[in-house]
Amino acid sequence: MKFTQIWAESFRAMLANPMRTMLTMLGIIIGIASVVLMLAVGDGIKAFINKQLAVLGSNLVLVQADSRKAVGARLKTGTVQTMTLDDAAAINRLPSVSGAAPMLTTFSQISFGNDNTNNQVQGTTPVAFRIRNLRLAKGIALSDEDVATAARVAVLGKKVAEQLFYKADPINQRIRIDNQSFQVIGVLDNEGQSFDAGDIGEVVMVPISTARVTLVRTPTPRSVQYIIAQSKTTEGLNEMVADISDLIRDRHRIRADDQDDFRVVNFGEFAKSGEAIATGLSIALGFVGAISLVVGGIGIMNIMLVSVTERTREIGIRMAIGARPADVLWQFLIEAVSICLVSGIIGITLSAALAAAITSTGKFDLTIGVKAVMIATIFSCAIGVFFGFYPARRASKLQPVECLRHE
Amino acid sequence: MTTPSSNTLVKLTGVRKSYFSGKVETPVLHGIDFTMQPGDFVAIMGQSGSGKSTLMNILGCLDTPTSGEHQLDGHTVNKLSRAELAGLRNRTLGFVFQSFNLLKRMSVLDNVALPLLYANVPRAKARERARAQLAKVGLTDYANRQPNQLSGGQQQRVAIARALVADPPLILADEPTGNLDTRTSTDIMNALTELNRDRGQSIILVTHEPDIAAYAKRLVRLKDGLVLYDGPVREGLAQLQRDTQDNAAQETAQGAPA
Ligand SMILES: Nc1ncnc2c1ncn2[C@@H]1O[C@H](COP(=O)(O)OP(=O)(O)OP(=O)(O)O)[C@@H](O)[C@H]1O
Ligand SMILES: [Mg+2]
Repeated sequence: MKFTQIWAESFRAMLANPMRTMLTMLGIIIGIASVVLMLAVGDGIKAFINKQLAVLGSNLVLVQADSRKAVGARLKTGTVQTMTLDDAAAINRLPSVSGAAPMLTTFSQISFGNDNTNNQVQGTTPVAFRIRNLRLAKGIALSDEDVATAARVAVLGKKVAEQLFYKADPINQRIRIDNQSFQVIGVLDNEGQSFDAGDIGEVVMVPISTARVTLVRTPTPRSVQYIIAQSKTTEGLNEMVADISDLIRDRHRIRADDQDDFRVVNFGEFAKSGEAIATGLSIALGFVGAISLVVGGIGIMNIMLVSVTERTREIGIRMAIGARPADVLWQFLIEAVSICLVSGIIGITLSAALAAAITSTGKFDLTIGVKAVMIATIFSCAIGVFFGFYPARRASKLQPVECLRHE
Repeated sequence: MTTPSSNTLVKLTGVRKSYFSGKVETPVLHGIDFTMQPGDFVAIMGQSGSGKSTLMNILGCLDTPTSGEHQLDGHTVNKLSRAELAGLRNRTLGFVFQSFNLLKRMSVLDNVALPLLYANVPRAKARERARAQLAKVGLTDYANRQPNQLSGGQQQRVAIARALVADPPLILADEPTGNLDTRTSTDIMNALTELNRDRGQSIILVTHEPDIAAYAKRLVRLKDGLVLYDGPVREGLAQLQRDTQDNAAQETAQGAPA
C-alpha cells in the first residue's frame, strides 16, 4: 500500500474514535507544551540575567591594588603602590579599552532637612556613566568640568532621591553629605545590583576630585581605590585584561619574575557563570517537561495496545485481502506518530498562547524559540515511533486466522 | 507428479491439520486430497465440526497445514513468507465471509477499493474500479454509506464486490448465506452462479444447506476430517439425502422400544 494511503488510513482511524484520540493526545499535548514552556522559561531566565548584567554595563573589569601580593624590594621601601589617576588615564588610552573610570568610594550620611540615610558615595568621572550604562531620570550627569573644579555636585540614585525627597523634585536642592553641602544635579534611572556598590539605586555619585577633598582620605593625592574599565568588544575582553596587566606591571615597574601588585576582576566571568546557571536551569526545566512527555508516551503505547486488541479482527480482514505485515506495522506506527505530531502542533500552539499571555502581563518575557519548537517536534515524533513501535509490531505479527476468529 | 498441470488452480496433497492447546493435539483434518481446475464451482458440506472452516482457512492461505502440500495458482504455498502470502492472497483470492467482515468506519466504496490499494493501485483509479464493481452488484447508490447502514444482504453484496474487485482467479466463500434469509440467499447465490457461468469464475463455497449447494457444479462432503464424497453435485446431494434418511430411520428404530 502506498504511504499516502497509510497516512489517510491512520487519520481515519484517529477520527473514528475522536474522544479517545483526544484523551490520548492530551498527555502528549501537555508534555510538549511543558517542554516548550520550560525551555522558554529557561531562555527567559537567561535573558533576564543578561538584562540584569547589561543594566550595569557589559564587558567590564575592575582593577585594584592587591597588597597581599606585593612582596620583595618594593615592600621594603615602604611604598605600597595603589592605583592612581594616572593609571586610570593610561588604561583609558589603551586601544582595546572603550573607557576607564577611577573610583573613590565611601559610606556616608546623606541628609536633606530632617531626613537622613546612610549610603555609598562614589567619587568618579563622567566616563563611569558611559561604561556603566547609567541613564538619568532627571537632570544631568557629572561633567569633566565638575571634576576639574571639584564642584560640590551630586547625582542621586533613584532610591536615595525617593527617600530624601519623596515626590518632590530634588534637582538643584542642597543636600549634606557628611555635613558638607552638595547640590543635586541629577537622579539616576537605573535599578539593580551593581558589582561594586550593591543596589545602584542607593548610590550617590560625586566628582572624584570633590570626594577626595571632602569625603575620602587617600594615601597620596593621586591614588584611587579602584578603576573600572570596559573593553570595546566582548571578544576583546580577555585581550584587554592582558593589555591592562602588561600596562600596570610596566607602570608599577614590576620585574618579570615578580607577581602583580594588583588584580583585575573580570565581570565577564560573572556574566558567564550567570549564563551557566541559567543554562543549568533550562536543562533542569526541560527535564521536567521531558518526564511529562514520557508519561504521555506511555499513554500512547497503552492506547495503541488497546487499539490493536480492539482492531484485531480488522487486522485479520486487512491481511486476508492482502495487507502485508509491513503494511500493518506502518499503519499502526504512522497512527502513533500522527497522534504525536498533531499533539505536538497543538502543544506548541498552546504554549505559544500561554507564553503570549504571560508576556502580556509585563512581569516576565516568554518567547517560544525556533529551537524549542524544533526540539518539541522532533521529540513528539520520536515518542510516537518509540511508543508506537511495540504495539505496531505486535499487530503485524498476528496470524490472519487468529485475527479473523477474534470477536 | 510434484508440478501440477499448468491448468490446476488448487491442489491439496495429504493435508493434515491439528490444533494444539499446550501439548494436547486435536487432529481436525486427517489427510485431504483435493484438486480444482479453473472455472469449477465447488460446494463443501459436512456436519458442524467436520473441519470445513479449517479447510477453507488453509485454502485461503490464512492458516498453514500441519503437514501435506498446498499448491495455489502455480505456487507452493508452504514455502512462501508471510509477506509473499499476503501478495498471493491479494492477487489470487477473494474472500466472502459468513459475517461479511466489512471494515467499519470506512465507506462502502473504500471497503471495495481496499484490495486494490494493497495492490498499489493509485487511489483514484482504485475508487473508479470499485465503483464499477459496486454497480455490478447493484449498489451504486450506497457507495458513500457506512457498512452498518446497509442490510445484511447488501453488506454481503459489498463483500462480493470487494472479493471480485481485483479480479482474482478464486473466490472462497465460507457460509456466505449463513446469516441471510432465503430470499436474500437466493439473490446472493444467483449472483455467484452468474459469475461462474458468464466469466468462468472459480468458486469454493461452504454451506450447510443442500439448496445452496445445489447451485454448485461439484460437491465435496467432509466427515470427521476426511473426504466422504467428491463428485458432481447432483449425485452428491442425492447420496446426502439417502444418508440423512438412513440416519433418521436408525434413530427411529433405536427410539422405538423406549
Ligand atoms: N483454533 C482452534 N483451536 C482448537 N480447535 C479448533 C480451532 N478451530 C477449530 N477447532 C476444532 O476443529 C474442529 C473443526 O472446526 P471447523 O471450524 O473447521 O468446523 P466446521 O466444519 O467449519 O464447523 P461449522 O459447520 O460449525 O462451521 C472442531 O472440532 C473445532 O472445535
Ligand atoms: Mg465453519
